[in-house]
Amino acid sequence: MFETYHPAVAFAYLACCIAVAMAALQPVYVVLSLAGALACACVTRGPGAAARSLAWALPLVALVTVVNPLFSASGSTEIMRLGSRAVYAESLFYGACSGGMLAAVLVWFTSYAACMTSENSMALFGNVAPVLVTMVSQVLRLIPQFVSRGRKIAAVQDAASSAAPRGRREQARDRMRTVSVLMGWGMEDGLVRSDAMRARGYGCGARRTSYRRFRVKAADAAVLACVLALAAVNAPLVALACGQYAFYPTLSVLVVWWGYLPYAALMAVPVVLQAKEAWQWRSSK
Amino acid sequence: MAIVQVENFSFAYPGEGRGASFDMGAAGADAGRVAAHDTEQTSGWALSNVSFSVEEGAFCVLVGPTGCGKTTLLRALKPELAPAGEKRGCMRVLGRAVLEDGVAVAGLTARESAEQIGFVMQDPAAQIVCDTVWHELAFGLENLGMGQDEMRRRIAEVAHFFGIEPVMRAATETLSGGQKQLVNLAAVLALRPRLLLLDEPTAQLDPNAQRQFIFMLARVNRELGTTVVMATHAPEDAEPYVTQRVELGYVPPLGERAAVRVPLAVGQEPTPSTPSTPSTPSTPSTPSTPSTPALLVKDAFFRYGRRDPWVLRGLSVRVSPGTVHAFVGGNGCGKTTLLHLMAGVLKPQDGRVLSPHADRQVLMPQDPKALLVCDTVAEELAEWRARCGYTAEDERRVCARFGLDGLENRHPYDLSGGQQQKLALAKLLLADPQLLFLDEPTKGLDASACADAAHMVRALAAEGRTVVLVTHDLDFAYAVADEVSMLFDGELACTEPSATFFARNLVYRPHDRSRFFGALAACEGRQP
Repeated sequence: MFETYHPAVAFAYLACCIAVAMAALQPVYVVLSLAGALACACVTRGPGAAARSLAWALPLVALVTVVNPLFSASGSTEIMRLGSRAVYAESLFYGACSGGMLAAVLVWFTSYAACMTSENSMALFGNVAPVLVTMVSQVLRLIPQFVSRGRKIAAVQDAASSAAPRGRREQARDRMRTVSVLMGWGMEDGLVRSDAMRARGYGCGARRTSYRRFRVKAADAAVLACVLALAAVNAPLVALACGQYAFYPTLSVLVVWWGYLPYAALMAVPVVLQAKEAWQWRSSK
Repeated sequence: MAIVQVENFSFAYPGEGRGASFDMGAAGADAGRVAAHDTEQTSGWALSNVSFSVEEGAFCVLVGPTGCGKTTLLRALKPELAPAGEKRGCMRVLGRAVLEDGVAVAGLTARESAEQIGFVMQDPAAQIVCDTVWHELAFGLENLGMGQDEMRRRIAEVAHFFGIEPVMRAATETLSGGQKQLVNLAAVLALRPRLLLLDEPTAQLDPNAQRQFIFMLARVNRELGTTVVMATHAPEDAEPYVTQRVELGYVPPLGERAAVRVPLAVGQEPTPSTPSTPSTPSTPSTPSTPSTPALLVKDAFFRYGRRDPWVLRGLSVRVSPGTVHAFVGGNGCGKTTLLHLMAGVLKPQDGRVLSPHADRQVLMPQDPKALLVCDTVAEELAEWRARCGYTAEDERRVCARFGLDGLENRHPYDLSGGQQQKLALAKLLLADPQLLFLDEPTKGLDASACADAAHMVRALAAEGRTVVLVTHDLDFAYAVADEVSMLFDGELACTEPSATFFARNLVYRPHDRSRFFGALAACEGRQP
């Protein structure tokens, strides 16, 4: 869904959502951010994957709910006693809220991982640190190469039964050997690679630029502005709501309040964008 | 005006041995061999008195066997890669002097050289710098500090020219060797060079990818007018496009296939035979089926992951003892997978592999570097002495048999590809295996080294060992194999004695004439 937008849009949106979700320990905000996280996961990873994340999110909420009273024996409404410890309703409710918050943050992060591939992250931070991006790109290239080579070397060792290791010590030495073969081979490659880099002008004195695969379009700017505006409006409202709400000794009473609306709007951004995309697709056919 | 002018160029590497050649970078491997083998040349000079000139727009090949100094000469033409050593003569590139009377001069700035002289090396994987194809294409342009719009245009153009749009976003590691080499060429061409230098660019590729690469190179030369200077040990692939040849050493002449008797008789082994090689009569070309096979695969099914497609489906094969069995087939048809399955590295998900010699086998990898770990050739051969129970005397003998005498104190990485392969095989043979698995044994070897390898493989079979090999090289399979199997769609399309197999194929046939057959004939000629 964020594919048609600049990576900065996805990053700004997800970073704002994760930040607010982590800060707002208040029942209404927790419910909203859990719902928003699941909706976003539906859109970015598909309904199936989102449903599967419920399979671990709900037990997580239940676990934190049950465990919290064992650690914090505060509150005023006693519902049962375990030995000498009292279990209070407020404590259970606090556990449910913090469990929900944790689950919401984790679900947000699954969306983040789906949207911000290594390439997108690099495109985004490349302007800040171009040298770093080149280095990361090279490392990302080397890791799979080392892994596949390691497998090849191990295969040759395993297959050489005529020279099979006698006992544990030789076996351990053979495994160490894999590492030293990899190192030697890698260094040899490094010489070739540094030649290939110099041959194409690396360090020729010119100031390096970095190729940007993504351009910022008007639509990107518009969505980005919306997201940032919503985030800016929400920040004081969240602080206010959380400051007024107390779990202990008794739960504050929740009231209907207009201040929740901007947060609901922020949560609805992916769904709205998805709906717009669906509508455009249908009307263009 | 000539774009490359070389006058009386001579070159010698500073000293010998590991320390010196290590500084030379990748040229070390090639050059080391030159220093050791140029007794016929003026002493100490890797190249002596080379003169030639290349006109703008030409397609020039530098022809010579491995280690004749091709790499050194090419690198000397590109200032930032020029090898360190003693030089004589003059060199002018793009009309600018880079060498005057043996002294390097800065006729070209680093930036000009990067822009105008492209350089493609042999190893497709090692010269790729970035993780994705588009970033690799952009790398050179980024180095020159080019603006966004111009970069986009250049990348779009080369991607279109080479037809690599479908893989633009792919990770470079996932590409095949042929695709990687095309990306390397494209990345260099994005800089719009006037001169393209290529050092054995197709040596590591399979025959299909070789043809495709040469074809693209010819298009670059003809349609874009880029001057091409390519070093190669197999000039016949580029024959239709070449406008100029510079010979730097002896290359075996083309030989007729009909002139080679197959399978090769062992008496023709060019290396001096040793006491450890019992001279049994050569195996008959159609081996009688003995009671116990050396290896039996029954209805093997294999795939790498539960959601992946089957690589092998119900494959069965029987390998007779003391024979050479070759498996051929297209790219990615599962040849290497089958080899690993037979060697017990992978286990079939269904079916069986029966291998009576499972405890006395070795696997020779595609790249011998996967096997080489020590600092010298001698240490390499001695590594398994304790666990296999051979003696220093055996090591000396095997050294002589494989023509590695005098190289004992060299670093394995300073040997040529053919020598590395001989060393790896020598090391494996010291373990006295009954069953040998060879993965692409001729990859990257020149015709003479291929002929040596063919004789070695036949000698192994003559000693009663069983050799199972997979290869793209049909000439090689034709010359060494007793039986050949064609792998297709996860099964064996057919398994037949070599002669019948090749006689009945229309496409899967060895060349009628090739340098490999020429080299084999030359070996035969040398024998009394």
